[in-house]
Amino acid sequence: MANKRMTFLQKLMEFCGMNPERVRLRWVTSAEASEFVHEISQFVEDIRKIGPNPLKTKEAA
Amino acid sequence: MGQKIREYVQGLLSEGKIKGFLGLRQEHGHVMPHLFCDPGDLEHMSLGDKDGPGDARYPLNQILIRVAAVYPHDTFAVLVRGCDERGLRELFKWQQLNEERVIPVGLGCPDELAKACECEKPFPDCLIDGPQGERADSQKVARIDGMDLEGRLAFWLAEFDRCIKCFGCRNVCPMCFCNECSLEEESLVGTGEIPPDNPAFHLTRAVHMVGRCIDCGLCEEACPGDIPLRTLYKKVAEIVREELGYRTGYTVEEKSPFNIIGGS
Repeated sequence: MANKRMTFLQKLMEFCGMNPERVRLRWVTSAEASEFVHEISQFVEDIRKIGPNPLKTKEAA
Repeated sequence: MGQKIREYVQGLLSEGKIKGFLGLRQEHGHVMPHLFCDPGDLEHMSLGDKDGPGDARYPLNQILIRVAAVYPHDTFAVLVRGCDERGLRELFKWQQLNEERVIPVGLGCPDELAKACECEKPFPDCLIDGPQGERADSQKVARIDGMDLEGRLAFWLAEFDRCIKCFGCRNVCPMCFCNECSLEEESLVGTGEIPPDNPAFHLTRAVHMVGRCIDCGLCEEACPGDIPLRTLYKKVAEIVREELGYRTGYTVEEKSPFNIIGGS
């Protein structure tokens, strides 16, 4: 269900002009530290590629 | 159009099956909601326009919830179009109305109206009067789907920025029955500024329309800023249908997907 909610959110974001890759859902247990680090690092890297949030730049302007 | 409805309601009233019929009445050139309790009164009944459903519309189901709360043991009939019937079904499921105490009186919409609404089903199953019109695809959603991300964001922000946060969309909505509204929750939507915190304000409402919005279009009609809310909620309905396989208001049994905690 969480997965479906995420898909819903991503599609809605896309329709409103936001990059759906800005939100991500992953399952990582407390025993998987390296997995957690990997996911977060990857997410940070991907977000950097996407660039600044257009809604933030709107506020600054 | 209208005579069949008049006769049907007259029958219900004179047989004592209902305490009243919630419909529309024309008086001094104005159309307004009216609870008909006397069969003789029905000559002033209106369908929303001169001879069919038209622009003068009210959230009759919302009014019915209030009437039923005062007379919980009585049965009422209510004038419904395709959208209103979908609304009734959801209100039964959300336990806002008792199915056994409501008799829907169905009115089909003319083609012109169905097209203007881009309606999925412009007639109720409980059809008493009016045509069984054809469904129409949404060109408005398709137009936005055809834009790129940047264009869509610019489009929606320009639309949302006309919002004066009058809450008209929420207040007129026949499906907004919560006692506490997330839109008034400061931690979700900031306060003190016009236009409101956008897109948070409108997207919060859009998400809450999952399994509720029955595409009646009253929000868009009520909006003083002409924000295309209906187009936004049509897209919400489309995503829910495609991703979760749920169509709002088409059955009385199936529950809204976001209503089921831990469901699959």
